[in-house]
Amino acid sequence: MRAIIHVDMDAFYASVEQRDNPELRGKPLIVGGDARRGVVVAASYEVRKYGVRSAMPMARAMKMAPHAIVVKPRFNAYSEASEQVFSIFERYTPLIEPLSLDEAFLDVTASVGLFGAPADMARRIRKEISAETGLPSSAGIAAVKFVAKIASDVAKPNGQREVRAEETVAFLAGLPVGRLWGVGPKTEEALKRSGLETIGDVAKRDVAWMEARWGASGRQLWELAQGIDPREVVPDREARSVGAEDTFDEDLTGMEALSPHVHSQALRVARRLRRAGVKGRVVQLKLKYSDFTLLTRRTTLPSPTDDGQTLYRVAKELLEKAHDDKSVRLTGVSVQELGMDGGGTRQLGLFSAPEKPRKSDKLNAALDRIAERFGTKAVTTADIAGNEEVEPDPTRPQKPKRPH
Amino acid sequence: MEFRIAADELKKALYRAQGIVERKTTMPILANVLVTAHKAGVTVTAFDLEIGIVSEHPAEVVKPGAVTLSAKYVFDIVQNLPDAHVTLKKLANNYVEISSGSAHFKIVGTAPEEYPKLPREESAPLVQVTGNTLLEMIKKTQFAISTDETRYILNGVYFEPQQGGKVRMVATDGHRLSLIERELQGDFKLKGGVIIPRKGLLELKRLLDEAPDAECQLGFAENSALFKKTGLTMVMRLIDGQFPEYQRVIPKEGEKAVLVPKTRLLEGLKRIALLSADKSYAVRIGLAENQLLITANNPDLGEAKDALEIAYRGNAITIGFNARYLIDVLTVTDTDEVAFELGDEHSPGVLHAPGDRSFTAVVMPMRV
Repeated sequence: MRAIIHVDMDAFYASVEQRDNPELRGKPLIVGGDARRGVVVAASYEVRKYGVRSAMPMARAMKMAPHAIVVKPRFNAYSEASEQVFSIFERYTPLIEPLSLDEAFLDVTASVGLFGAPADMARRIRKEISAETGLPSSAGIAAVKFVAKIASDVAKPNGQREVRAEETVAFLAGLPVGRLWGVGPKTEEALKRSGLETIGDVAKRDVAWMEARWGASGRQLWELAQGIDPREVVPDREARSVGAEDTFDEDLTGMEALSPHVHSQALRVARRLRRAGVKGRVVQLKLKYSDFTLLTRRTTLPSPTDDGQTLYRVAKELLEKAHDDKSVRLTGVSVQELGMDGGGTRQLGLFSAPEKPRKSDKLNAALDRIAERFGTKAVTTADIAGNEEVEPDPTRPQKPKRPH
Repeated sequence: MEFRIAADELKKALYRAQGIVERKTTMPILANVLVTAHKAGVTVTAFDLEIGIVSEHPAEVVKPGAVTLSAKYVFDIVQNLPDAHVTLKKLANNYVEISSGSAHFKIVGTAPEEYPKLPREESAPLVQVTGNTLLEMIKKTQFAISTDETRYILNGVYFEPQQGGKVRMVATDGHRLSLIERELQGDFKLKGGVIIPRKGLLELKRLLDEAPDAECQLGFAENSALFKKTGLTMVMRLIDGQFPEYQRVIPKEGEKAVLVPKTRLLEGLKRIALLSADKSYAVRIGLAENQLLITANNPDLGEAKDALEIAYRGNAITIGFNARYLIDVLTVTDTDEVAFELGDEHSPGVLHAPGDRSFTAVVMPMRV
């Protein structure tokens, strides 16, 4: 049996703002963009009671809570706090699966001998997070992932909840079916029409009945309702993507203004790829316009790469195609479908010529050594020189973002 | 159109059609079969514009005619009939009544004129072939066919007649290659080799599997292949292009050749590959004094090792391979022992029966 802890920071962005600015503490706070066009990025607990939720249009949020204080998001501060939190997790287990900047699964099965019972571990982790970052968090402890996640949600704010294996079915029984993993609004409605209102209703049914009605996913729902979830905690090392993005101080328009940022991001991503010893095939460009609408464009390379100039060339093409003279508040470059390189495996071809190290590989290796000694600004490209974003030194590849 | 037919006959015809009809297509009619009743019996035709089969079956034909019907739904129906016989009768507007015992279905069909015409390949010089031999050749090459659609030329098996009535079949996905040479008496009148597409080859295998001992004929004309056996005709379009120069990549003789018990090697590979990194099937094959070692390690799980006793003297070597590629070859190898020739970590490994290179597999190493 596994011991899994799901740690979730409470109102993460809002909590960071309240920590850094004492005047905001205890006040209804919205982290978000423009009052008319933006969306809520985060809402403090004080403002949630008015119905304000993240991703809600700002205009609607302001109607619900006209007295709320609004601050602009500072993503650099959140990344920094996130790094600190994850480094605390690493003290307890290497098996960490990040779900986003502020949320992760920890498989602590093998750590029990060292640190004691999982619930005690969760308490220590939360205490250390609070002491070292000044931020509140909640935790759920269970034998399987999805129960741990529900438990942390139930424990919020600033609490923790353990669901022992023998309590799982009873714990789940009273919850609405919408809480089951994979059940969206449509499935929920369909389940309700069949008289399945709670997870308990699903659990009481015969598995054959569920299967006959919903096929393979019926069986899966039934298993989840019994607390059966075979999904393992997949550590960060197998992160599906590596990326870099920046929110500009002022919104930018036009290729000339945007491309140096994309260039810098491409180079940073490539450095991280090389540091992690992986290459990727799918390059994605992300644009967030001033009105917070998001646009992503991707392309697949013929072969995996960790070369910054290759990434930039592709990202720039995507930018040229997507670009439409709207003002942009954020650009990002990321690489997906990562595979091991070097230390990893590579199948040799029958008809291809024996491989020689490419010139760009040699150049990158030299640049990496310079960057290690003198920093990333020591040698850079002309378009970026002087205004390159200072790169924090991530000891870990960037955490994958929660899929939207 | 009206006829009465044994349910098993109709089932057989529709089973043959299942692999060919296309469900995901912009031409919905390609999901249908063309059912034609004439005095001599009934034919069922399936065609995806590349591969077509015409299956002939005895039936009591009351009224000749034709219609097209959904291959999938009618197959499902025929599998669930209450009686051993079934009657199909075309009604107005191409509706078809399917009756068997107490059960009646009224199914939507379409006019036969809408069904695409199969190319007629009467000119192909047909060669009598042994089904068993052709089946063996397909089984021993199909696993190496590339499934990468961008490598279109490699999406099939190269069929190359040799001197003295022999035929060679070669498949490769660019990482491994499989070659088999067998007697297929007769002159195909081909100038060089032709490339038989994967889907067609797998359908051919299915048809041969029905009755491997049955007499059959194979022929080529223009850019298509023709296959015939009693009650069945199959045509398929060949892949147009130049197959790579495969001889070039088959080493004449490996530096180190060992004889290995096949089953032990196969089982060892399956076991050890369980611990390969990233589900890549990457394993290391090592030769040491009188030992063949299979090892794997996975940074997340741990490591595994298996050793086989063999006769070997020489330098110890270790070469990475994709275990899947070796397993594919060993699975279709008939002999108890297999000759395994190795070079260095950049040179291909070669597998064949001891003293017999008529079935040879070449596998490129993996950098592990």
